[in-house]
Amino acid sequence: MDALADESMFAWVGERIKRQDSASVFLLAPLAAFELVFFVVPFLILVRMSFNTQPETGFYESGWTLAAYGEILASNLYHQIILFSFKLGVIATVVAVLLGLFYAYAAYRAEGLTKSILLFSVILPLLTTLVVKTYAWRPLLAPNGVLNDLLLSLGLVDGRIQFAPSLFGTVVGQVYIVFPYAVLAIYSVLSTLDWDVVEAARDLGASRPRSFFEVVLPEVLPGVAVATVVSFAWSVGAYAAPSQLGTGEQTTFAMEIGNLMLTNFNWPVGAAFALLMLAAMLAATLAVIRLLTGSVGGVQDV
Amino acid sequence: MASVTLANLTKEYGDLTAVDGLDLDIDDGELLCLLGPSGCGKSTTLRMLGGLETPTSGEVHIGDERVTDQPPYDRNTSMVFQSWALFPQKTVLENVAFGLKMDGVDEEERVERAREVLEIVEMGEFADADPGDLSGGQKQRVALARSLAIEPDVLLLDEPLSNLDKRLREQMQLELRNIHDGVETTFVHVTHDQNEAFTLADSIAIMNDGEIEQVGEPREIYDDPVSLFVEEFLGDTNLVDATVEETVEEGIVATTEFDEQIQVPTPNDGVAAGDPLTISFRPEEFDVSRVATDGGQLTESAAHGDVTTALEGTITDVLYRGSSVRFYIEIGGTSVFFEQSVGDETDLEVGDPVVVSWDPEDLLVFSEGERLGRGGT
Repeated sequence: MDALADESMFAWVGERIKRQDSASVFLLAPLAAFELVFFVVPFLILVRMSFNTQPETGFYESGWTLAAYGEILASNLYHQIILFSFKLGVIATVVAVLLGLFYAYAAYRAEGLTKSILLFSVILPLLTTLVVKTYAWRPLLAPNGVLNDLLLSLGLVDGRIQFAPSLFGTVVGQVYIVFPYAVLAIYSVLSTLDWDVVEAARDLGASRPRSFFEVVLPEVLPGVAVATVVSFAWSVGAYAAPSQLGTGEQTTFAMEIGNLMLTNFNWPVGAAFALLMLAAMLAATLAVIRLLTGSVGGVQDV
Repeated sequence: MASVTLANLTKEYGDLTAVDGLDLDIDDGELLCLLGPSGCGKSTTLRMLGGLETPTSGEVHIGDERVTDQPPYDRNTSMVFQSWALFPQKTVLENVAFGLKMDGVDEEERVERAREVLEIVEMGEFADADPGDLSGGQKQRVALARSLAIEPDVLLLDEPLSNLDKRLREQMQLELRNIHDGVETTFVHVTHDQNEAFTLADSIAIMNDGEIEQVGEPREIYDDPVSLFVEEFLGDTNLVDATVEETVEEGIVATTEFDEQIQVPTPNDGVAAGDPLTISFRPEEFDVSRVATDGGQLTESAAHGDVTTALEGTITDVLYRGSSVRFYIEIGGTSVFFEQSVGDETDLEVGDPVVVSWDPEDLLVFSEGERLGRGGT
C-alpha cells in the first residue's frame, strides 16, 4: 500500500467518526457497556434507594420519601462527620502537595542514579496494596511501636506517645497514600521546564527562592492543580487511613456509609449520605479547580 | 561598562577538564568573540563569567572587583541564552522588565524603561505578546532586550544566533554590532561560526581544548595565525604535508606531497632535515592559468630564480557554490582547490592542464601544529 492509499484510509476512519455512524458506535460499544453496567445502573439504583423508607428490620422498605435526606441534614453526628472529612481532606492535601512539590523539585534537579532512586522510591509504594501499606504504619506509630522505642532510647521523650491511633496517625497514613500521585502530577509538568529559564531569572538578579516563586511555580501550577484535586478528592473520601490509624473521633463519611450499609443495614440513609457527599465533593472540587486555574489566568505582574 | 580579567581559570567535571588554566583580558566596551569548535570550553568560560558555574580554580574579575565566588544574581552581568530562555508565563514586557523588578525599580519606571529597550530592538509593538507566539528572530530580540534592560557591565551572549536561519542570522549580526556601538557595554559573544566572529568582533579569542590558542583583532589573526588549529579553523585552505630536505639561509627546502621540492622563506629555528611540516596554500593566493598549447607559458612561470613557485596540474572538478566557483586541481597525486567569483570565473574545464603559481611569501608553514617563527608562544 503506498502513502496515498494510507492517507485515504485515515481519512475514511476520520469520516466515520465524524459522522458517528455504525462503525464508530461499534468501537465505543465495549466501553459504553462497561460504564452502563458498572456505573450508570448502580448509580441509578443508589438514587432510587435513597428515596426508600427506613426499615424496622431488613435493609429497606420500598417507598418514596425524603426522610433519609432529612435525617442526615438534621443529625449533629453526621454534621461532625462531614466536617471532619473535609478537615482531613484539607490537611492531607496541603501536606501532600507541599511535600510533593519539594520532592518533585528535588527529583527534577537530581541527576543520574539519584534521580532514578528518587523517582523509583515514589513509585514503589504503588506496587503494594493500600490496606497493607497503611496497616504497616501501626507498628511504627503505636505507643509500644518502633518510633516510640527510638525516641525513648534517644531520650527525646519522657513517656510513650500515642502517634496512632490518632488524628496525627490518620494524616500520616492519608498523606502516605496520596503522596506518590501528588509527586507524579507535579513532576510530569516540572520535567518540561527548561532549566535555562531558572538560570536566566537568577542571572537577572532573582535570588534562589525568588526565582522559584517567579519562574518555577507559575510553570508547575497546572501540575499543582492536578495534585491538589486528586489529593483532596481522595482524602475527603478517605477510608483505609482513618479506619486503621484513627480513633472513633476520626470517622469520615466513607466509614460512616460503610457502617450504615454493612452494620446498621440502613440502606436508604447510606445511599442518601453517599449522594449528598457526591454533590458536595463535586462542588468543592470544582471550586478548587476554579481557584487554582483562576489564579493562573489572572496573573498580571509587571 | 567594565573590563574583564580571567586569570588561570580552570573548570573540571570529574576527570574532564573543560577549561584549562585560561587567561584572558577584555577591554572596557569591547566586543570580544570567543570562537571555537563545540566542546572547546567556550560556553563554560562564559557561564563562569556570569556566575552560572563556579570555577574549580582561578579568578574572575569584572572591573576592579573580584567576583569569582559571587552568585549570578549578585553580579552585574547578563546572559543571552542559546535557547533564549524567555519566561513562558510572562508577557514580552514583563520579561524585559523582570531584571528591573528584581532590582526593586518601581513599576512605573520599569515599564517605561522596558518599553524604551523594546524600541531599541524594534519589538515595541509586541510588548503585550506571549513569548510563545513569537518567531525565533523575535524571541532573540526580546532575550537581548531583557538582558540590556538591566544595563549590565558585561553582556554575555551564548550562541544566541545559532538557532536562526542564515539570512536572519546575518541581519542580526549587523544589528548586534550596531546595538553594541550604541550602548557602549562590554560584550562577550560565544560562537562556533568564524564568519559570525569576523563580522561582529573587535577582537577574537580562539579556543581549543579548554585553552586560548590566539587572541587578536580579526584581521591580525587571519593574517598571522599562530597554529595549525587556528589556520584550519579560520576557513577552508589547502594543507599540504611536506618533509624538510634542508634548511637554507632564506628558509627551508621541503619535499611536498606534490612530489616536488619547493623553497619557503620562513624562520627555520628548531627544524632539521627529515622533520614533517604542514604548509598552508590559501586558495586566494593561487594564480592559475591554462597551459598554453605550445608550452611556452610554463617555462616562463617556473623560471623564478632557483625557487619553484609554480607547478603543473589538471583540473579534476568544477563546483558551482552559489556566488563562487570552486576548482579542484590535481598536482602530482594531491588535490588542491581555488575559488573564483561567479562572473569573473575563467572558462577552465575538467581535464584542462593548468599551471598553478604562488608567491612563496604567502605560504604559512607549521611544524608540530605550531607556526614556524610564531610557535611556542
